[in-house]
Amino acid sequence: MTNNHFTIALAGNANVGKSVIFNQLTGLHQHIGNWPGKTVEKAEGTLHFKGYTIDIIDLPGIYSLSTFSIEELVSREYIATEKPDLVINVVDASLLERNLFFTLQLLELETPLLIALNQIDMAKKKGILIDCQKAEKLLGVPVVPTVAVSGKGVSDMLETAIQVIEKKRKIVPLKPRYGKEIEERIEKLVKILNKTQLKYPSRWVAIKLLDEDKEVEKDVQQVSPKTVTVAQKLRAELEDIHGHSCPTVVTSERYQVASRISKEIQQITKQVKAPLREKLHTATTHKVFGVPIMLAVILAVFVAIFSFGDFASALLGDLFFELKPSFESVFGTGIVGELVWGGLMEGIIGGVTVALPYILPFYFILYLFEDSGYLSRIAFLMDNLMHKMGLHGKAFIPVMLSFGCNVPGCLGCRIMETSRERLLTAFVVTLVPCAATSVIILGLVGNYVGIQWALALYIVNLVIIFVLGRIAFKALPGEPTELIMEMSDYRVPHIKTVAKQTWFRLKEFIVMAFPLIIAGSIVIKIAEVTNLLEPIANLSSPITVAWLGLPAVTGIALIFGVLRKELTLIMLASLLGTTNFALVMTPVQMIVFTLVVMLYIPCVATIGALVKEFGWKKALTITVIEIALALLVGGIAFRLLTI
Amino acid sequence: MELPLTSLKNGETAVIQSTDCRLEGKKLCRNKTKKGCNKKFANELCIKRLTDLGLTPGTKVTVIKSAPFNGPLEISVRGSRLAIGRGMASRILVDVER
Repeated sequence: MTNNHFTIALAGNANVGKSVIFNQLTGLHQHIGNWPGKTVEKAEGTLHFKGYTIDIIDLPGIYSLSTFSIEELVSREYIATEKPDLVINVVDASLLERNLFFTLQLLELETPLLIALNQIDMAKKKGILIDCQKAEKLLGVPVVPTVAVSGKGVSDMLETAIQVIEKKRKIVPLKPRYGKEIEERIEKLVKILNKTQLKYPSRWVAIKLLDEDKEVEKDVQQVSPKTVTVAQKLRAELEDIHGHSCPTVVTSERYQVASRISKEIQQITKQVKAPLREKLHTATTHKVFGVPIMLAVILAVFVAIFSFGDFASALLGDLFFELKPSFESVFGTGIVGELVWGGLMEGIIGGVTVALPYILPFYFILYLFEDSGYLSRIAFLMDNLMHKMGLHGKAFIPVMLSFGCNVPGCLGCRIMETSRERLLTAFVVTLVPCAATSVIILGLVGNYVGIQWALALYIVNLVIIFVLGRIAFKALPGEPTELIMEMSDYRVPHIKTVAKQTWFRLKEFIVMAFPLIIAGSIVIKIAEVTNLLEPIANLSSPITVAWLGLPAVTGIALIFGVLRKELTLIMLASLLGTTNFALVMTPVQMIVFTLVVMLYIPCVATIGALVKEFGWKKALTITVIEIALALLVGGIAFRLLTI
Repeated sequence: MELPLTSLKNGETAVIQSTDCRLEGKKLCRNKTKKGCNKKFANELCIKRLTDLGLTPGTKVTVIKSAPFNGPLEISVRGSRLAIGRGMASRILVDVER
């Protein structure tokens, strides 16, 4: 902190309107990246307000500061070690008790705190009135009512924030007290801990030791192993007294404090009638109608995106190809011209005609659904199905995305809580046939062999996904987690926030995928102009011809498919010299070829996404497994179908 | 009556007894507090998550409904609406008046 340059962190539960506040504060001056070494999103922004420069950090939405998810760990690390000048705790006014449970933990971390009592208007509609002055008195920190979506109260909040940071306002934050048995033991631990140097406040560490927090225990073990043993003993004592595990006792008592405070500051009057959002919730999670509604919605979205995408993609492609003559007049039609147009430009065109027409609307609708609350209902409905492959309901969302494109699917795995779950989901996701794969399934098999065979391929794919998902689930060490998720009230999505999310995601896609697609396109073009393709086709013929029973040129097509899978079909057409595949391939060959394309490798952009999320080793492992799988399944299919 | 949360009817309200149990044979075992049950208990992280979301012993919980095909439960606790997997829910013991 310098005289007029501060850092403020926003913290709070998920779905409390935190990102809306973040957007109100920072406008376009924001940057979304990752926390160092973690695949947790870090949103930062800068704000200029009355001569002050304020950096705002939007911490992930969490319910507690324990170790359940990577997000929780990242948040408490940040608050404890980076020491922001102020933490603004965004609280959902209509869910006071659970939100205060988190507030109490922030107070325990002894960080300078301000509470933004958000969605105060919604609370009022629900019949909840809150006494802010009393809340301030009880919690000992400033409480400012806000309505993020309309920006109401936001500048009040900022002014109060500056007063607190500049110490113009005296605050005496509440120290949450536990029951006598726990307090005695906290004190014992604090006494020992005071002698050691830790990055967290001693009282917090003491509480966390009783809370059986593995990470804190690890830290303490290094400086004072004795404390850990003492804590173990104290925990056993508490478990004997209360008859529950110690973390449960601690959490339970903390909730009692939250409950008592919330009862004192809120007044609940009866709600008039069940509003539309409740009816919507009942319908979309209905035992009978829920799934049909979901299927209809998803289908409608896909049909809309693909019909728009096809149209826009063709239009963009045509526009670009009109540039071809002018490129040829500059670079000629020789090797240089070939590389510049066929390598660089076609790479760019390939990227643009995917990103803008498909990925952009895709992300927009996804975030629209997320912000409105529908995604959590989908997870609720699909939990049982996803369980069959060892995942829980939330995993359905990246899987669904993957039917469009595997890249957002892979990036979407972040919604899973643990790294084990993320990896498992990513593995499943890369096996899902994306839009480009569907083009081949329908364009080759559907067109020339029969639609029932195309459907059969989808079914085979689903079976493979289920089987492999299960195997990976069993093979991967670590414990599975189950679905535990909030289904917050439906609300009208905040379009600005949705648009921004979409924009950042699109940018991420472009930054990650474009260089790979372009570089890959140039490499293959070089191979083409230097006549390397033929030798490659010959080299791969033991696999393509002998094992899979395909024409030798498919080796080349499959290599192109690494760039983008739909290229396999385009390449095949140009290599075989016809678009009437029935003349040059047998139905069995088409089926085998499609099977291999469907499974063989995540495309280069997907590999990029995997590397970004999981590192080289895991990305490579998944790639190799899938190549092997594709060859295995392809070979078996060839033999079965030619019996 | 002490029952797992999964055996409540839709709309029924009960008080949570404990979140760390499992049924072993017909006997109820409670994590750590009862000896003789050595089998691995539910993921501790999940229990932590449950309690962090407000499902602590002594809390009132209402089952709203379950998802189709025997899916997760929709419950209401401390004014918020949660979805929890069936496996997790079956390890939450509640006391219900019938």
